[in-house]
Order: sequence, then C-alpha cells, then structure tokens
Amino acid sequence: MRIKKVRLGGISVPLISIFLGLVVGAIIMLLSGFNPLINYLNLFSGALGTPNAIGEVFRSATPLILTALGFSIANSAGFFNVGLSGQALAGWLASVWFALAFPHLPGFILLPGSIIMGALAGAFWSGIAGFLRAYFGTSEVITTIMLNYISLYGTNAIVKGVLTSSDADSTPLVPIQARLRTPFLEKLTGNSTFHWGIVISFFMVFVIWWLMKKTTLGFEIRSVGMNEDAARYAGMSTKKTIISSMLLSGALAGLGGAMEGLGNFQNIFVNTSLPDIGFDGMSVSLLATGNPIGIIFSALLFGILKIGGLNISISSNTPSEIVNIVIASVIFFVGANYIIQYLISKMKISHKSAKLISNSTKGGHK
Amino acid sequence: MDLMTILSTVVSTTLIYSAPLIFTSIGGSFSEHSGIVNVGLEGIMVIGAFSSIVFSLFMSKTFGWITPWIGLFVGGIIGTLFSLIHAVATINWRTDHIISGTVLNLMAPALGIYLTKLIFDGKGQTGFISQPLASSKIPFLSKIPIIGKIFFENTSIVAYIGILVSIFSWWLLKYTRFGLRLRSVGEHPEAADSVGISVYFYRYCGVLISGFLGGIGGAIMAESITLNFSGTTIAGQGFMSLAAMIFGKWNPIGAMGAAVFFGFAQSLAIIGKYIPIIAKIPNYWFTIAPYLITIIVLVAFVGKSQAPAADGSTFVKSK
Amino acid sequence: MKLGRKFSLIAVLMMVGIGLTACGSNQSKSGNKNNSSKSNISAALVTDVGGVDDKSFNQSGWEGLEKWGKKNGLKKGVNGYNYAQSNSDADFAPNINKLIQAKYKTIFGTGYKLVSAIKNAAKANPKTNFVIIDDVIKANNVASVTFKDNEAAFLAGVAAAETTKTKKVGFIGGQRGLVIDRFEAGYRQGVAAVDKSIKVDVKYADSFAKPDVGQALAKAMFNNDEDIIYQASGGTGSGVFSAAKNEIKKKKVWVIGVDRDQEDEGNYSGGNLTLTSTLKGVGTVVEKMATSVQKNKFPGGKVSTYGLKEKGVDLTKGHLNSDALKAVENYRKQIIDGKIKVVERPSQLK
Repeated sequence: MRIKKVRLGGISVPLISIFLGLVVGAIIMLLSGFNPLINYLNLFSGALGTPNAIGEVFRSATPLILTALGFSIANSAGFFNVGLSGQALAGWLASVWFALAFPHLPGFILLPGSIIMGALAGAFWSGIAGFLRAYFGTSEVITTIMLNYISLYGTNAIVKGVLTSSDADSTPLVPIQARLRTPFLEKLTGNSTFHWGIVISFFMVFVIWWLMKKTTLGFEIRSVGMNEDAARYAGMSTKKTIISSMLLSGALAGLGGAMEGLGNFQNIFVNTSLPDIGFDGMSVSLLATGNPIGIIFSALLFGILKIGGLNISISSNTPSEIVNIVIASVIFFVGANYIIQYLISKMKISHKSAKLISNSTKGGHK
Repeated sequence: MDLMTILSTVVSTTLIYSAPLIFTSIGGSFSEHSGIVNVGLEGIMVIGAFSSIVFSLFMSKTFGWITPWIGLFVGGIIGTLFSLIHAVATINWRTDHIISGTVLNLMAPALGIYLTKLIFDGKGQTGFISQPLASSKIPFLSKIPIIGKIFFENTSIVAYIGILVSIFSWWLLKYTRFGLRLRSVGEHPEAADSVGISVYFYRYCGVLISGFLGGIGGAIMAESITLNFSGTTIAGQGFMSLAAMIFGKWNPIGAMGAAVFFGFAQSLAIIGKYIPIIAKIPNYWFTIAPYLITIIVLVAFVGKSQAPAADGSTFVKSK
Repeated sequence: MKLGRKFSLIAVLMMVGIGLTACGSNQSKSGNKNNSSKSNISAALVTDVGGVDDKSFNQSGWEGLEKWGKKNGLKKGVNGYNYAQSNSDADFAPNINKLIQAKYKTIFGTGYKLVSAIKNAAKANPKTNFVIIDDVIKANNVASVTFKDNEAAFLAGVAAAETTKTKKVGFIGGQRGLVIDRFEAGYRQGVAAVDKSIKVDVKYADSFAKPDVGQALAKAMFNNDEDIIYQASGGTGSGVFSAAKNEIKKKKVWVIGVDRDQEDEGNYSGGNLTLTSTLKGVGTVVEKMATSVQKNKFPGGKVSTYGLKEKGVDLTKGHLNSDALKAVENYRKQIIDGKIKVVERPSQLK
C-alpha cells in the first residue's frame, strides 16, 4: 500500500494538474449557473489579498506540513497511517496539558517542553500501532482507525474530567510564555492566527529530508518499504525499523497537533469530530507525492484554497464545497500524471521527448 | 430488562450498526481481490447515500412502500458510476491506488453537498424521506420459539440480506470461473494475462462491484438510519468497512463477520449500560470499549492479515 | 532540480494571486462607495461546521437575520446581511476577520468554540459589535446571550410525564457539555415535578454525528419499555427518529424534538410521532440584536438571558393531549412567576 515514487515530468505536470483542477471546478460552476471567474478572483484575493489572509494561509499550512511529513514517512516504510488525526489530537492534548500543568516555568523551558510532549504523545499513540504491527503482524490500517476513535473520546473525557475545573467544555488558554502566537506576529499580519510554528514546520522538513536521504535509518525505512523480506535478508532489523518509522510518523503528527494547541487555538476543547489536519495532511502528502520540499508547497496551496475558499460563501451564493471539489481534482490529476505525460508526449512529435517520458513512467511504476 | 429482551436488543442493535458495513466491506474485498486497493469506500458510501435519498424524495409518491428498496439499487448504480473514476484512474491511467481512493473520499462529500445545495434551493441538508427502510419481522422464521423472537422479530432485513450476499460472494470468488479469474488477476496479473485472462476486464469488475455494494451500504445508512442526507450521514463507516475487510482477511464471509463483530461491540456498549453491575462505569469507557475490544480481539485471535499478492499494483500489458 | 521547479511553480502562483488580488480589492472598494451615505448596520453570522441549514441553531440564527434583513430592505452580501460558513473549527478566526474586513457592523457567533476567536477579534476591533450566543465574554463591544434551555426542557419533562403510559421515559444527549447539561437537568426535574415514580433513563452517544448509535440507543430504550424519548443530540437524533418509526408499528412511542419544531422529522405513514419540541429562539434574539444596533442601543458588555419569561425558549403544542397541555401551561406560569426554579446542572438535582 505504498505510493510509488512519481517522477513529475518537470514543472509541467503539477502546473497542469492545478490548471486542470481549476478547469474542472470552473466547468462545474458554469454548469450550475455560477460565475467561475468571479469566484476564483474572490478565492485568490481572499487568500493573498491582505496580510491577515496571508497569515492565515501560512497558519493553516503549518500543521499540515507536519502531518503530511508524518504520512510520507510511514508511507516510505510501507505503512498506511490512517491514524494521523488521532495522533495529532493526542499531541494537541499533551502539549496543552503540559503547558497548563506548569504555568510558572520560564518560557524557554515550558514552550519546548510542551512541544516535545506533543511529539511524544503522538509518537506513543502511533507507536502502539507500530508495536502491534512489528510483533503481532496486526494491520496498522485497523489499529490506527480504532486508535483514532479512542483518541477522540479519550481526549474529550480528559478535557472534561481532568483539565477543566467546573466540567467546562474548553480549557483556559495556555500560559503566555507557552504560546506560539505573539503580539508581534498579530500586529504584522493584521490580527491573524499566524504563529511561530511555521519555523518548526520548515525546520522539520529539513530534518526529515536529511533523515531520509542521508542517514542509515532513512535508508532502512525505505528498504523495508520497498521489500520487507529483502531488507531482512540484508541484515536489517525490520521490527526496529517498522517501529521507528511509526514512532517518527506519529511524533510529526503529534507536533502538528501541538501547533493547534499552542499556536492556533492556544487551548483544547471538547471536539465533536477528529481534527481535519489528519486527513488533510494525508492529501497534502499525496499531492506532493511524498517529497518533503514539495510538501511545503502543496501545504501552502491547500492553505490558499481553504482560506480563500471561505470568501466564496461570504461573497457569493456559490456553495463553498466547490473548493474541495477543486482540491480533489488537482490531486486526481497529480495522481494521473501518467496520462498527462502521455498526452503531452502525443502532442510533441519529437522522438527524443517521447523516449524520455516513456523511460520516466517505466521507472515510476515498478 | 429480562434476559429475552436483552438478547433481542443485542441482536437488533448489532444488525442496525452492521448492515451498512457488511455490504461495503464485501464490496471492498471484491476490489482488492482483483488487485485494486480501495480506500475510497467512504466516498462511495457518501455518493450512495446521497443518490438514494434524492431518488426517494422525488419518487416515493410514484413507488410507494417499495421506494427504499429501489433507492438502495439506485445508490448502488450511482456508486458504481462513481467508482468508475477509481477504475479508470488505477487501471488505465496507472494512478496510485491510495491517491485515487483519497480523491473519492475528498470528492464525494463536497460533490454531495454541492449538488444538494443546487437541488434543494441552497440548503445543505435534504428533507426527510417519507418511506424509510423499516425493520420488520421475517415471515416463518419469526415463528420459531425463542430464537424467532430474538433473531427475526422487528429486525433489520437488509442485514440478513447482507449475510446472504456475503455467502454468495464467497462462493462466487471461490468456486466460479469468474471468481477464480478475478482472484488470479489480483494474485499474479502477468500469469493470468499469459493464459489469456483479461486483467483489465476483471479489475474493472472488481472495482465496479465494490462501487455497487459500497453504494448500497451508504444507501442503507441513509434509507434506514438518518432518513436524510447531510454532511454527517456518512462519518467514518467507510473506514470501518475497510477495517472490517482487512479484519476478515479479505474473505467476504470474514468481512461480514467482522462487520457484525463491530456492531456487536457497539451493541454491548449500549446494552452494558442496562446491566446493573457495570452501569456505574463512566460513560466514556462504554464509548471507547468497541474500538478497544476490536484491537484486543485482532491481536489475540486474528493475527496477521495477508492481502492478495498483487494488491495495489499497476498492471501494464506488454505488447 | 526539483526544488527549482517547485519554486518557479510557487512564484507563478503568487504572481497570479497578486494579480487577482489587485482586481479583487478594486472591486470591493468601488462596492463600498455606493452605500457610504447610509449608516452601516450590516450584520453577519459565523456558522459552525453545521452550516446555515443544520436544522438547529445555525439555521434558526440565519433565519432570524434574513427576516431582519428583508424587513429593512437589505440584500444578502456586503453592506447587507450575510453568513460565513466554517468548514472546521480552525475557520472561525479567519472568517471573523474576513467579515470585519468586509466592514460588517455586527457579527454573531454561537457556542463555546467561538469564544476565543471572538474575544481576540473584539479586542482588536473595538468599533465592531459582536454577539456571542450560549456563552459569556466580558468586553464592551460584545453582547452575550444565554438561553434558559433548562426551562423549556422542564416543560418537555412535564409533557413526557403527563403522556407516558409505561412510567419510563428516556433522554438521549449528544456530548455532555454545559449546554446539554441544561437540557438533561431541566427534563429530569420536569418529569419528577409531575410524578417522582417515573424513571428517566439518561444516555449519551458521546457524539452529535452518530445516527447509527442514536438508533441503537433508542432501540434499547424502547425495548426497555420506555415510550417517550427526548433527544438533544444533533445529527445523532436522526437515528432516534428512525428507531421510533420502526417501533411505532408495534406500540405507541413518541420522540420530543429539540431547538426547533421537529414535526417534519416525526412524519410517518400513519401520522406523526413528534410529541412536541423545545424551541430555542436564536433567530428571535439575532433579529432583536440586529435591530438594537439600528437604534444605537446595542447591549455591549451585557449578558442577556432568555427564558420562558422573555419568550426566548418555548415548547410547541405538538400532539400533546389536553391534560398535558394544561399541566404544561400550569408549570410554565409557575416558572415565569419564579415559583419554580429550574436547575442548570444534573448534579444540582435533588
């Protein structure tokens, strides 16, 4: 169940995918009697038109980068981690809990401490699935789905029973020194929820890129993902690799949750459903075909479409669901890059380019 | 509650919860046996629920009491059409199966609500259907002493149909030429191709059957439980079906069994609140219990699930 | 290589974006000019994930705003009345800011999840009016509105107690919380006020979006001989209604609806099984608040509470028989006169 490495034939495929996704959205809007041009204008001005909007775009990309990295690591090792949202929620809870428990610690201890607690909680939660997979062969798809629900209801019980004094529905805000949102950033971005978490996200992109490309662990994770038996014969401890990839994946998802807890919301409340950053992170990772650098851009694209999309319900009668239709279409075309490249090669008569493309698709689907 | 009531409550609540999952998870096993991973079951269910409700709202005057049954069929047909996206993408266009499945999951709720708003004057939820898929007693069987009252009175008929479908599907996959060929393209497509079996055709069959059954699964949810369509009509049942399919080791009867087991776990959590000794346990333990029990049972009794060998692979016919 | 490619991609995107932005902002400026002569009374509602047609308080709030807007000859959109749909909890803050930038004078929000977003926005935008419903914020430009849901729930309890034949009634809640607590407490107190021997079976689905669990819970309650269920569980409640529709073929059962008249949900081939519904007048309050801004009487910094007395909550006549109706009216009067005090938390019940 591993996404194959897709070699995007130059910049053309992602650009064409985005373009085609917008075209699909436009056709649907035209067919239903709405003006696509005005809606897209509203969408992009809503995402990039003001410092506030840009701040919101980056804020919404912040946790997505982390959960997407988490998905792609598990995926490299051959796992389908459907439990990102549960792991993120565990991280959200732990980071807020820690910050609320030690309100008198100085910021340089409390803030990193809370962030690390978030990562640890996420890692613990996915580690259960990794452990069961490594030692009992239990499918991680089932365990992570079940752990999602346990996380949701367990977190709600803790918020109500432990973290709030009078059985309230949300905790107080975390102490000021544990917040990632600062007055400076609020001033800079017109009172948006933009926060310092973006630095952590960018830093983790670098770390993961380095880990996967330059370290033995990264090599082992990729080897296990490609062929578990071969990796075992080559003398790697597959159990260790399985568990460490799941731990890393969950830690990143937990970090994503900590961004919500310490940055976006600055508290935790009774959630009615699992946080969106889990499944959205999965989509972001798929859009970037697992590439860490690509994840930054696809997370930003996601942020642009989501935040800009809010403008659609404000400025028109077009159902704002059109945004998700566009997002789904873009991912669809990225996935169907083979057919796009095939069509491009049809259009070009040049022998050379056709050969190049057939090579790259062969390499891509082994 | 007396013992009889407890037992019949356990059975009927189990079936309420499992019925949608049974159909969808059987569908999933068809797709995966043909070699196409289908994580898009959730999306297929959404489309099935949406289309069956729209059908029922407009046609219940014409068809009367039989409307919900036709509604299930409509849900299945539209589910099949929707799964065509997955089939074309994964089989012809070599799209990664998880990407394509995720596209279905993203697309379906957005499309469903978008269309709902178009059809119903900007409203994001439909009205309520007047002819729901009601539970009723099963003739003859309900006359059996004791067992009849527990199992066949005022119960979910579709769930029993689902159980029959699972047995039929198991037979179809295991003993018929169609089934053997469908499985062969999921185990070793190159070998199947070399003996002249059309890999593309059987993979299309697998995916479209999953679309049909998944659509029915979603329609059951809408026609018998929510009675309307909204963003929350399908909330995770597709993923539970995916889990049931793996839990049942890709075997239709196993998948059905797992779906019934999930329902049973939910039902125990509900009926547990009526059993005096454990009723004092805080509510959240009851809510968590079904999921916890699933993991424990999976680890203790089920163990490793092995997917069909070529599940998730792209087959390219060599020329 | 790849980095370079992606970079140029984002550069193109940004350029497109900035280009579009320029057009977009021009548009909105010219739009503002037209109406600058009139004093600004525009108002907008931030919905939660349910949207404006959630068949609950979002819908009721929006209907109130629409009514007010139409009465004053306003149009949906900038300078008129509008809503902003939130697709997740993270959308509250950006939505509020977008509405502020679009110069809406008054912004409404419902529920505890919006508290911190509104608090922040209110601090940064002292000239905008905010209304928080179902929670309290202390700020000069925020009006807080709470409802005495417990009073309506009390009457629902009275209605249930007067109607039950089995002396057992049920309550299905979504998620435990301060709001649903009021429903549970009021209902139980109301039942007990009529007849202490009637058992109230309280169950929670722990979710507002689990209709299958709702149906199973209701089925268990009916099997347990409970013949009336009061549901305060959002989407989970649709399962309660479908369970009742199955049960009604065997014996007489009723469901009591919540927040708005759920008569529609109760229709079945043989009649209607919605006994009555408790109403929460979010729409009326939204209308009232918008009007108060018009008259320069916005109650910023104040907490207004709407109960039976203020007609903020109510109970529909539904299919109550005359005895039950009489009892309901009797208790309504006692509550309005302050002779009965309805508690807010189940833990306060005797």
